[in-house]
Amino acid sequence: MSIEVKNLIKTFGDKRVIDNISFKVDNGETLAVVGFSGSGKSTILKLICGLIQPDSGEIITSKGDIAMVFQYSALFDSLNVADNIAFALRERKELRKKYSEKDIRNIVAEKLELVGLKGIENRFPSELSGGMQKRVSFARAIVTEPNSILYDEPTSGLDPISSTLIEDYIVRLKEETNAASVVVTHQMSTIERTANRVIMLYDGKIVFEGTPDEMLRQDNEYTKQFVTASLEGPMKMMTEN
Amino acid sequence: MGSLQKYYKQSATYKIFSGAFIEFESFLDTLGKITQDGIEVIKCILKGQIDKKELIDQCNRFGITSLPITLSIVGMTSIIVASQVALEMVKQGGSNFVGLLMTILIVREVGVIMSGFAIISMIGSSLASEIATMRVTEQIDAIKVLKVNPIRYLFVPRVLSGIIMMPPVVIIASAVGVIAGAVTANLTSGLTYRAFFDSAWLGIYMKDLGVCILKAITFGGTIALISCSSGYYAKGGAKGVGEATNKAVVWSFVAIVIWDMFFAIAFFF
Repeated sequence: MSIEVKNLIKTFGDKRVIDNISFKVDNGETLAVVGFSGSGKSTILKLICGLIQPDSGEIITSKGDIAMVFQYSALFDSLNVADNIAFALRERKELRKKYSEKDIRNIVAEKLELVGLKGIENRFPSELSGGMQKRVSFARAIVTEPNSILYDEPTSGLDPISSTLIEDYIVRLKEETNAASVVVTHQMSTIERTANRVIMLYDGKIVFEGTPDEMLRQDNEYTKQFVTASLEGPMKMMTEN
Repeated sequence: MGSLQKYYKQSATYKIFSGAFIEFESFLDTLGKITQDGIEVIKCILKGQIDKKELIDQCNRFGITSLPITLSIVGMTSIIVASQVALEMVKQGGSNFVGLLMTILIVREVGVIMSGFAIISMIGSSLASEIATMRVTEQIDAIKVLKVNPIRYLFVPRVLSGIIMMPPVVIIASAVGVIAGAVTANLTSGLTYRAFFDSAWLGIYMKDLGVCILKAITFGGTIALISCSSGYYAKGGAKGVGEATNKAVVWSFVAIVIWDMFFAIAFFF
């Protein structure tokens, strides 16, 4: 078991964003987390990787690193691509001892090749397109050989072809690293192409859990509304009463 | 009862007191965070967790890039003071004390406090906005997810560069200030350079220089710490970056004036 979440509760002010949620993700499995904006999807990722602490509940992850690919890449804009990818290797004491500068250069080149961006080591994030930034952030995330990879809306804001490319890399990384992956997304193509299972959140609770095929069958009134993008259904937008 | 409470909550008295309470709470919150970050920085420094390359970059930014503006501000302040004081003192027969007065003023106060103000406006605001931008673009979250201590990576080289670089900046700025004072006194009152510098040394002791350097170290560390901390806890987007920068400048100004008062009472009262 790589990621197990048990009875998780998180409240911001008066709003319970995560309300008693439990799920498991195995090694080599990708779980898609879907739902409306503000339904707590990104909060789940932040809780899993320890950026915020839950009010109650438990998050069990297998030993090793958890990597996260951020929605807007979150590359260090003052560092070039090579330094971004090598960041953890240079800044973490145990990794600094393990790898020489030559090793680090080789690892950076290898990871860049893996995401199809060979030879851009000296470019700065501002010189890259959105899709390239995402792929560099993939390379940075996997540089520490993580056991779990979290993706926060990896294809949002990208054109369809770049989205397909990113989705292919998510699948490829899962196959190469055998990591447990959690993908937060709105996009149906990302769900269909990358996920083994899907959970849907609404009002802090899981309202659907199943495979992408089961989701597309629209047997559940929540998934039906989501897939058809309908305003009619059990889920109300935040502005509605 | 409910409507009475609602009516009370709409009253000006309630709004004034609740607003004041929120401000006070925010003040204590900021003070607590700065103190906590300061302790964490000291711990990292004592453990030797210092990135030398980053420290050199930050020293260059703190000391070298700030020097032109710092020297200009201290120099011009000296010119203003000397042009007001020199002629009057010479007229009143106090020409032997112009150099002494100017030097005491510059070494004890003007050099260090005006350098502090220049550093706040140039470096402090830039540190705060840089780190606040990293916060709102999730770069700090990325540092944490990569299991790197953001205090060690971001705060330590910046605070340490403030501590290391502020004394030489203040010494150079004070020297420029004294020279600017001498030139101004000469031009406005005809006081000779020899007369200026003969009296300049009379009122300056090692204690003054020591306190000046101690102040510079304290101001440099305080400005860098407050600026980093203000940026680190920024919230929201562009507005959050603006608020963090504003907070860094205001808090740093107030902090160095409080420190200055503390030094004046402790050493010259």
